[in-house]
Amino acid sequence: MHFVGFGTWLAALLTIFAFSFLYKDNPFFRFAESLFAGVSLGYYVGITLNQTLLPNLVDPMVQDFGHNWDLIVPGLLGLMLYVRAVPRIGWVSRYALAIYVAYYIGVDFTRRIQGEVLPQIARTMLPLSSLQSTTLVSAIFIVGVYSVLIYFFFSKEQNAVTKPLARLGIWFLMISFGAAFGFTVMGRVALLIGRLNFLILNWIYPTIGLQ
Amino acid sequence: MPGLLHRFLALDRRWIFLLVLVSVTGPIVLPLGLPVTVTESTQKSYDYIEALKPGDVVWLSFDYGPSSAPENDPMAEAFMRQCFLKKVRVIVTALYPLGGLGLANQSLARITAEFPNVEYGVDYINLGYKDGATAVMRRLGDDIAGAFPTDVNGRPLAEFPIMHGLKSIRDVKLVFTAATGLIGEYWITQVHSQIGTPVIIGPTAVSAPKYYAFINSGQLVGMLGGMKGAAEYELLLARGHSELATLYRTTKGFTATKGMDGQTVLHGFILLFIVLGNIAFFQERGKKAGAR
Repeated sequence: MHFVGFGTWLAALLTIFAFSFLYKDNPFFRFAESLFAGVSLGYYVGITLNQTLLPNLVDPMVQDFGHNWDLIVPGLLGLMLYVRAVPRIGWVSRYALAIYVAYYIGVDFTRRIQGEVLPQIARTMLPLSSLQSTTLVSAIFIVGVYSVLIYFFFSKEQNAVTKPLARLGIWFLMISFGAAFGFTVMGRVALLIGRLNFLILNWIYPTIGLQ
Repeated sequence: MPGLLHRFLALDRRWIFLLVLVSVTGPIVLPLGLPVTVTESTQKSYDYIEALKPGDVVWLSFDYGPSSAPENDPMAEAFMRQCFLKKVRVIVTALYPLGGLGLANQSLARITAEFPNVEYGVDYINLGYKDGATAVMRRLGDDIAGAFPTDVNGRPLAEFPIMHGLKSIRDVKLVFTAATGLIGEYWITQVHSQIGTPVIIGPTAVSAPKYYAFINSGQLVGMLGGMKGAAEYELLLARGHSELATLYRTTKGFTATKGMDGQTVLHGFILLFIVLGNIAFFQERGKKAGAR
């Protein structure tokens, strides 16, 4: 029998605790769940402090304040967010939040328009004039886009023309949901395979001396 | 038979769980070596990386956590193997908060052990984790050192030869993001669309369908979709590089190729259950209609 490290035993037992929920809810599962939530939060705080706050805010100000004094502004905005804990001056946090939200709207707006809306619209404007090997695929693509858009057009009651098109849109949606479900199954199975590989190859086999 | 199907509808789901366990465990204990076919998006990704020149710099972002490591680890590690073999230099970052950096450190340790000639700071560098994915990417478009003033160990970037001549992410030849959730999408819609740097994505299978739209629109070079995509990529690496063929054949570590046996067996069972479930459902519905 080989020695398997404490970390491997701990990980293996916690994995089994988590899987035990598949039989029924039990205290071992709840322990693993609570431990995971607590460790995740602690890890998040620690890594944000060490990898973001210290190198981007604290260290530059401590080492060269003359060139980095402007970092006081984001530092103060960050602190203002925590003022919510003091109800009497909680309103101060709203200013920091307003700047934060405004910044992200600005960043996200251009990202959405430039990165999603315009390129995807451009992709639907395809030449159908000359017959090529991709023409049929392009035609199906365009029919799919327009029929789904018609299905989601709720401002006018559907008539004899739009109703069958909307129905076709539902078919396109169902096919895409089926593809998404297939991929989801594959993803979840992959996670199970990863855990079972760990349990068998890293825990059980070394413990019984097979590796 | 109808009685059996009726009982099938009332089957305790725990029997299904047990079958899932057995069908996935079996191929781990006794590998089957079932074939994997390569899709176009994986082939394009492989070809693009293969065409890079020695000395080129690429960006590898670990944008996932332990919850999707079995899918993303193999693709990130395969990417590093191909780069190091071709003497392409790699900048590593992590933008996923819960475990991205830990996984990056682990993968780097594993892969650099396989390539003892690669040197930290010259052939690769680990810039660590940074919070606020879109803000980080926005800053990378102007100034890498503004977003990551130091490497993961707190040393200034100017100390490292790999960073010389790199001002912004515009200067790298490719971004490869192994991603879960939305961060992968940000690399496409922010870094590729606004800055122009080519992007290859290795998403979890759950996220993969939405990225086909980005492939069709030309916003992505290619995609490795989940464990299947990673297995395809490993197959291409093994075909193209004899050193990696040996490695993938003999490694005791986890690879996507090994995982695909379990996937295939279990998918077969799932398909069978879907068919049986539907037959039972329609029979039941027919009976009810007949009774009315």
